[in-house]
Amino acid sequence: MAGKVKTAKKRKKFTLINLLQWLTLAALLIFMQVEVKSGRISKVFLAAPTDIIEKGYKMTVDGTLLPHLWATVKEVLAGFGLSAAVGIGLGFIWVLFPKLEEYMNVFCSAIMAVPKTAILPLLILWFGIGFKSKIVLIFLFGVFTILYNTLTGAKQTRIEYLKVARVFEANRFQTVFKVMVPAALPSIFNGLKLSAATALTGVIFAEMQSAREGLGYLLTEAQNNLNTPRVFFVIILVTVISVLFVKLISTLEYSVCHKWTRV
Amino acid sequence: MPTIRIQNVSKSYINSEGEPTNALSDINLTINEGEFVSIVGPSGCGKSTLLEIVAGLMPRTSGDVYLDDKLVEGTSKDIGVVFQDASLYPWRTIKRNIGLGMDIAKIPRKEQEEKIARYIDLMNLNGFENKFPAQLSGGMRQRAGIARTLVMNPKVVLMDEPFSAVDHLTRCSLQDELLRIHKEEKKTLLFVTHDINEAVYLSDRVILLTPRPGTIQKEYKIKRDYEMKRDDVTLIELAGKIMADITRGRDYNENVEYMI
Repeated sequence: MAGKVKTAKKRKKFTLINLLQWLTLAALLIFMQVEVKSGRISKVFLAAPTDIIEKGYKMTVDGTLLPHLWATVKEVLAGFGLSAAVGIGLGFIWVLFPKLEEYMNVFCSAIMAVPKTAILPLLILWFGIGFKSKIVLIFLFGVFTILYNTLTGAKQTRIEYLKVARVFEANRFQTVFKVMVPAALPSIFNGLKLSAATALTGVIFAEMQSAREGLGYLLTEAQNNLNTPRVFFVIILVTVISVLFVKLISTLEYSVCHKWTRV
Repeated sequence: MPTIRIQNVSKSYINSEGEPTNALSDINLTINEGEFVSIVGPSGCGKSTLLEIVAGLMPRTSGDVYLDDKLVEGTSKDIGVVFQDASLYPWRTIKRNIGLGMDIAKIPRKEQEEKIARYIDLMNLNGFENKFPAQLSGGMRQRAGIARTLVMNPKVVLMDEPFSAVDHLTRCSLQDELLRIHKEEKKTLLFVTHDINEAVYLSDRVILLTPRPGTIQKEYKIKRDYEMKRDDVTLIELAGKIMADITRGRDYNENVEYMI
């Protein structure tokens, strides 16, 4: 049933509203193009779309972009992977051993409350300006969202599901892995999606502050050279990566859960 | 031969206002092997509480529950429970839901096949083995819930308002199926319901509980020496009698003045 609704949505007709949306976008692009090319708006403040495309194409072809792109993607994947593993893992360890949660929760809440960007100077001091400090920052950005989403999801397992497990004399590990993990999956994926977007924010910020490579570094460099088209290009690229990353997790969620969740 | 013996069972708890509340008070009940016993009573009389105590899902305040003269402490392999809304795991297919108990008991999947197939057959779930619960009707889901319990071959099956979430016609056919299965499998059945007609149609014995704190107000034995239809006069009369007893309440004499 859910599948049918989805395909129906995809075949939605092109409405007047859609037309207006496209026209608005086109108008904005044309405005940028005309104003910058005619010199009414300085090239430093705004970029013409054709210049953005040109600069982007050049960067891609001459090989300046790829190492930076790869650096950022690597940092995001490693940092995010780490926060997902620790967040989900610790969540279930806490469910298995509530005493541990009682002990650790106050520390985790305290660290979670610290604005992560404020400890970047410390992280640089400890881990240098390279790969490691970025990973730690992304980890701190994402791990608590994933941890608390996992925990809430597991704790909100329907009481009836737990009673069924008790009737069949499931032990604690079976109850956690056969009942609470699957019951918490939607909530876990929610946490993953939320922290995926912030992971990229974190890494770009860190790279802008102190780095020798990465898209954030490229952004600062372009800004220093007053290369506004390049700034625009990198911003667009980062946005696309962010969207793709969240989309990837949604796809994973769909492939895992769509069969049994309604909607 | 008694299977379940409930002896002086009471249950009290502290409610949300911090006052002690008696849910059940001094329940004594013996259920014989193969017997079908229903518990009815006004809502809040503690029928579900009693069932959960027998299932070992809820601690009792005092008294004892025996299964074949052995004290029931916690849940037991010999006592199966069918829940109100089936409570199937939505992430498991019907087949895997039925196999849940065997999965937990670490029985290899290969050895499960035959048993699962038998109960899929018994509960008329053929063709739905690989569907997920969300793809099934309420009646189908409850059939799968019953299969999940029966496949573990418990001596006693407890049912907590199992048909309350389905429409009337589905409920009637599920009742008929339950009677057929009770005949085939010869399980001892303790059945909680708020539907008096359902109770008299299914059971060998109906237990009426009083409002809170629940005590046994009356027992009704039903002679099932011939096949009874739903509209059998004795059943309809008995249902009427139970209904009248519920309205009279705990203390017959006190209420009788208002009724005249």
